[in-house]
Amino acid sequence: MTAISPAAAAITTAPWTCRAPWLQMKNLGVRYGEQWALRGVDLDIWHGDLLAFIGPNGAGKSTLLRAMLGLVPAAEGSITWSDTKPRIGYVPQKLSLEAAFPLTVEEFMAINHPGSRTWFGGVPKRERPAIMEALERLGAADYSKQLIGTLSGGQFQRVLIAASLLQKPELLLLDEPSASIDRRGSEDLQLLLHDLHASLDLTIIFVSHDLHFVSHLATRVGCLNRNFCGLGPPHEVLSEHFLAEAYGGLLAPGKLHFHPHH
Amino acid sequence: MAAFWNYDFMRYALISACILGPACALLGVFVTLRGMSFFSDALAHSAITGVALGFLVQEKLALPVDPMLCVFIFSFALASFMAWLFHRTTLAADTVIAFSFTGSVAFGVVMISWLGKYRMLDGILFGSIYANGPADIIKQALLALLIAACLIGQMRAYTLSTLSPEMAHVRGLRSGLLNYVFALLIAATVAVCLKMLGALLLSALIVIPPAAAKLVSGSFRSMLVVSVLGGLLAACVGVIASWQLNVPTGPCIVLTDVLLLTLCYAWKFRPSRAT
Repeated sequence: MTAISPAAAAITTAPWTCRAPWLQMKNLGVRYGEQWALRGVDLDIWHGDLLAFIGPNGAGKSTLLRAMLGLVPAAEGSITWSDTKPRIGYVPQKLSLEAAFPLTVEEFMAINHPGSRTWFGGVPKRERPAIMEALERLGAADYSKQLIGTLSGGQFQRVLIAASLLQKPELLLLDEPSASIDRRGSEDLQLLLHDLHASLDLTIIFVSHDLHFVSHLATRVGCLNRNFCGLGPPHEVLSEHFLAEAYGGLLAPGKLHFHPHH
Repeated sequence: MAAFWNYDFMRYALISACILGPACALLGVFVTLRGMSFFSDALAHSAITGVALGFLVQEKLALPVDPMLCVFIFSFALASFMAWLFHRTTLAADTVIAFSFTGSVAFGVVMISWLGKYRMLDGILFGSIYANGPADIIKQALLALLIAACLIGQMRAYTLSTLSPEMAHVRGLRSGLLNYVFALLIAATVAVCLKMLGALLLSALIVIPPAAAKLVSGSFRSMLVVSVLGGLLAACVGVIASWQLNVPTGPCIVLTDVLLLTLCYAWKFRPSRAT
């Protein structure tokens, strides 16, 4: 187990609240077979967080989201939700769907609508207002009739987020939201997530490889490589010291072409 | 042409076609969505072993057990075994399916030979319209109701758990339970359809109508409708054509399904749409 560095330990507490956290992870370890994906993870999640996890491939970022969802069990340590566990929305990176499969955007939204489970395709009349409202909020109403497999990366992310909003979540988890989006689309997505965070009082946790995206969106960043090398405000964690610790030789000092947003 | 209505076996065959065609096509939409076409084909083929086990229980153990029940239990057990191998080993899914079904078919044929029923293999592989009676039609109707109740009643749950198990989990859906029920539905369909269509051909009723519907549909709803209607039409036309041409019914239904697929393909790529 890698010990957390003194500098990282100094910035692991969330500074803005004295209320109890929604979620507490203590010494969390998750393993697949003999391989530890996470080990010794301590993390508190607070209402109002806009938290990003960064780290190299295989660092355990997506596993950490899956552990929060209860999809992988803790092999050691604990994950404890507060008595007022928030409603959770989840936005996956992709869907298990053949591109040519005839499923329209509005039908995908209907599948995610918390209405009756009985359905035979299409959009039931009573569910259409909520579905269109969610799509309009994300600027995705124009392509509601399009097949979901034909959308661009940015359009697809908007639809996934709109679908997750139908559950009226208080906590939104996103797995690599900017992975298949160009720079312009990534900036639009930042603005959208900022707007949702502010206007819906939505707590947001996301995983990303895109340090530019993270530095402009997150208010707290966790730099992960099986455990946290650093956890705190972006201008402190997105430093060469922590990134070199997480990425090792993968991200050489002096090669960071982004400027942390204060 | 309507003379066929005077024969009991033809009337029963047409009623069975009207029940099984749409029911299998509805099931097939989700088989296609889940990428399980090869899996359902493998279960259909391995029904030979289920039949052999039925003979074994009836003759060697002298227990009055319906072979259909043995087919159902064996198909479900094999589906569970394959699912276990998918999750617990590093073997590729198509490798697991290939050796599971060829192994079970080989075992079934050896057992049928050992029981002295090798001559019945023809009927097991290709089905027989003459073996279809009122009791079978009742079982087929119950199967169709079960498929409709499970899939239409839980259609959002099945679709979402296929697209994203994580999103389904967040919604509180139990993907594991849904998967087991789905495997049960495939096993029950294999057991009920085997007598009429045979182990070699029955998966065509499940796979081909949705594949054809996918080519011409612009939404999930239209795929469901076209698939169910296409399954009904192909099965009925197949039964009538088999009477007219005096050829076996099972293969005739499958050929009609293939014709439907070809027509849908031609429609999708018709010259007026070409760019």
